[in-house]
Amino acid sequence: MSHTTANTTTPTAMSLRHRFSLKRFFAGEGPEPGPIFLAQRRVYILPSRMGVYFAAMMLIMLLGAVNYNNSLAYALTFLLASIFFIAILHTYRNLLHLRVDVGQIPAVFCGEIAQVPIMLDNRRSAARYAIKLQLRNQQHTNVDITGDQWQRNKVPLRTTHRGRHTVPRLTLETGFPLGLFRAWAYAQRDVCYFVYPIPDQHHPLPDESSYHLDLQGDRGHGTDDFAGLRNYHAGDSLRHIHWKTVARGQDMFTKQFGGDQAIELWLDWDSLPNLDTEARLSRLTRWVLDASATQVNYGLRLPNTHIPPGTGSAHQQQCLQALALHDITPDADISSS
Amino acid sequence: MNMSGFQQRVKQAKAENLWLLAGLALAFTPHFFRLPLLVMLPSIILLCWRLLFEWRYLALPPRTVRWLLTLVGILATWIAFGTLVGQQAGVGLLVIMLCLKLMEMNAQRDVGVVIGLGFFVVITVFLFDQSIFMGFYMLLVVTLLVTALIAFSRDQSVIPQWANLQKAGAILMQALPLALLLFFLFPRIPGPLWSLPADGAGAGTGLSDSMSPGNISQLSDNDSVAFRVQFDTPLPLPQKRYWRGPVLTQFDGRTWTNPYPQRLTTRLSINAQNQARGTPSLYTVTLEPHQQRWLFALDLPAIIPPDSRLSDDYEIIANQPVRQLVRYSMRSFTDYRLAKDDIPNISLYLQLPEKSGIQARQLAQQLRQKVTDNAAYVQTVLNYIAEQPFYYTRQPPLLFDDPVDAFLFDSRRGFCEHYASAFVFLMRAAGVPARVVTGYQGGEMNPQSDYFIVRQSDAHAWTEVWLRGEGWRRIDPTAVIPAERIENPQDLARILPEMTGAGTTPNWLKKVGRQLSFSWDRINHTWNQWVVNYNTQRQQNFLSRMFASAGFDNIDWQQMISLLVAGMTLVMVVVAVYLLRPWHRRNQDPAQMAYERFCQRLSQRGMQRQPAEGPLDFAQRASQQYPQRARDINNITVLYERQRYTPYPTQRNLQQLQRAVRNFIV
Repeated sequence: MSHTTANTTTPTAMSLRHRFSLKRFFAGEGPEPGPIFLAQRRVYILPSRMGVYFAAMMLIMLLGAVNYNNSLAYALTFLLASIFFIAILHTYRNLLHLRVDVGQIPAVFCGEIAQVPIMLDNRRSAARYAIKLQLRNQQHTNVDITGDQWQRNKVPLRTTHRGRHTVPRLTLETGFPLGLFRAWAYAQRDVCYFVYPIPDQHHPLPDESSYHLDLQGDRGHGTDDFAGLRNYHAGDSLRHIHWKTVARGQDMFTKQFGGDQAIELWLDWDSLPNLDTEARLSRLTRWVLDASATQVNYGLRLPNTHIPPGTGSAHQQQCLQALALHDITPDADISSS
Repeated sequence: MNMSGFQQRVKQAKAENLWLLAGLALAFTPHFFRLPLLVMLPSIILLCWRLLFEWRYLALPPRTVRWLLTLVGILATWIAFGTLVGQQAGVGLLVIMLCLKLMEMNAQRDVGVVIGLGFFVVITVFLFDQSIFMGFYMLLVVTLLVTALIAFSRDQSVIPQWANLQKAGAILMQALPLALLLFFLFPRIPGPLWSLPADGAGAGTGLSDSMSPGNISQLSDNDSVAFRVQFDTPLPLPQKRYWRGPVLTQFDGRTWTNPYPQRLTTRLSINAQNQARGTPSLYTVTLEPHQQRWLFALDLPAIIPPDSRLSDDYEIIANQPVRQLVRYSMRSFTDYRLAKDDIPNISLYLQLPEKSGIQARQLAQQLRQKVTDNAAYVQTVLNYIAEQPFYYTRQPPLLFDDPVDAFLFDSRRGFCEHYASAFVFLMRAAGVPARVVTGYQGGEMNPQSDYFIVRQSDAHAWTEVWLRGEGWRRIDPTAVIPAERIENPQDLARILPEMTGAGTTPNWLKKVGRQLSFSWDRINHTWNQWVVNYNTQRQQNFLSRMFASAGFDNIDWQQMISLLVAGMTLVMVVVAVYLLRPWHRRNQDPAQMAYERFCQRLSQRGMQRQPAEGPLDFAQRASQQYPQRARDINNITVLYERQRYTPYPTQRNLQQLQRAVRNFIV
């Protein structure tokens, strides 16, 4: 993970032209690298439909007050109008200065619903109510956040295409407290997630003939296959630090990599000539899952990718990712599902 | 149903709907006493139905039944009012249709509609009552409706409902300064914009335009305020405090009536006949609505207020019935001569019914023959009333066959109306032009303030006779009754203006009560002046005065708008700063601040962190630049990452980070 909080929040970083561009208004800022701070310029507000009705109602009330020369009718109309104006500030405030971040999204198989962790950080002592979280074109979730609280919410995300996708734009929306105004803000993080191909129905693994005995493996240090953890030594590359344990608050470990040798099962693209691309990927996905379950050493051969045999969850993940990305140009990554 | 089961049901109910129903019930209450039961009873039943639905006791009616109920509601309104248009019928229809909407309030949108209509009901209450009490009562209703709106905008009703009420209170308090600015500065447009449907709304409490002395057995003792007066000149003498109202000239033997509006066709030039003497009284009258067209003024008015006319009998008649508080400046001459030499339509003031008062006519002939001129005759009749056993009472006997004769020769007990009626009859029977004048007599100063109060209990009837060479002379026959023949000593002051302060001395309790009632009246008067009667003219005066004190000439509506916009902007900025606290924008966590200090140290050495560079990349680059510091750099970065991006950052870790940054030297 890399974060650049400080730079995304400085208001001076935005030019005036950018600030008033309509694209921001309709589409948001685009993917951003760090946690997103909902500064003044990022929160938009307009009257809701009910707000428009209320404004019309107040106009009629004003006409009535004029017509009947009724002072208290004037007073009521003006009080409601004032409440209307004050509601702008309250609704705006309900979103303002909220910090939004998107966590790592666990990979899912295509068609499953991914749970996107949305982290909301409310550093104000007052609570924020009825905030609607909605990923673009997805179902929404409503949340309340009490004051001075950091909160993790799961927002559903339907998956329709395999591949590696950037998490879609998140819209935070609120009408609280009066529902007369709708304030909203866009937040899109540059977090990616994998959608694996749909696993095929159960098919037996390729027969014994596909097994190969490979004696060429090595056991030395390397960078290919994860081999284990050892204690962190000063000077170790930060890239190899095992952050998961760091995150748990344990001591620091450095990841070690190496190779292995074993009996190998090759899951081969070319062994399935009668199927079309997606069906082949589905079948191979099924086989990767089954092979992992049997703890056999397996490798994956795709037209452009070659994954040497291995075991373990990291290996499985690598294979599934390769399957997900098969034949997908890097440009297509950006398109959200 | 045991208590806990009931509480369960209350909990299940939608909070916003309960707030809404409470608000509506309170908003309907003033109408309940004003609108026909035929409209209000079904409305209350529907409201209760909805409440029972919210508590899961009852289902809502199906669509066909709803249609049927709608028809019944319209029919009930039509039967109750005889029409569906007009102010009262319109309000009735609004109330009943709102309650019917409750029967199908399911969707989110419906709740918004009903809350909006609730605000309309509040405004309709103000059409009938603009008192200070109603103003604050309706503020409560608005608070409840706003609370409903808040509960409605939150999807879950998990947190305690009082928090919603509190929020509504906070919003109202913040809205209040804006509302005040709008109230005083928003340019008032003189209405009406279109003609209002004529509507006999509300029963008047004031004087009526007819008088039937024999028909009343009990004079009501209504202490409500008829009008208030602020004098710019010294108060007139007590015996001059006659507030002129309807003048009654036609008598049918039982009832005196006012010939208006048939006679409004001729209009007098006000100063042609009126030969005023002395200095005028200048004053401003604030008249309570009484649903009639009379405007009251001290005898004798010298000017006519706007939107009104003067009749031949010097009544001031407004163009529209007084349905709301009106305020008008007046000028009157309490010393005057009116129509000294001639009056038009003299027969009007000599009219008598054919077959009534046979004895009275004989008496008039007898008395007239004793004296030489009409002036002496007037005095003779007054003497007759003073000498014969006539009594003043507030509970006179009813008079049946011939009220005039029955009063003069039989009962001889009555109040001002009886005496005025009998006196004018005796005048006319002897050929002296005379008329009955009704209005108010007396009034009292509010000792705690600078205005004069005239109450409904000050209503009075007196007479005017026309004497050639002198003009119309005011005669108050009730005033000649000697004190010992006044039944109730408290009426003394009422009848004999010179004797104000006589009668029984009130004890201390009465004194305190009077003080309190004067205080309350003063509050009401202020409310009337600044709220109810704050109209185009008053706004102009008030703002011009304010503006003049600031050194400007005059104020027009453009300046009002500018002032309003400036004031509202100021208030909005203050509230915005209070609510949004932009200086708390950074409010960063300490780890971030420590890390930024670390980056700053490096940047001083020319090691600038790039905008898109993450801490790990930056640490790597910095380590290559300063290999001897790599350990510290990595340590700080690890501590920072751990503090920032773990779900449970610890205080110890933070302290380590801060210490590491403090000790970091490039």
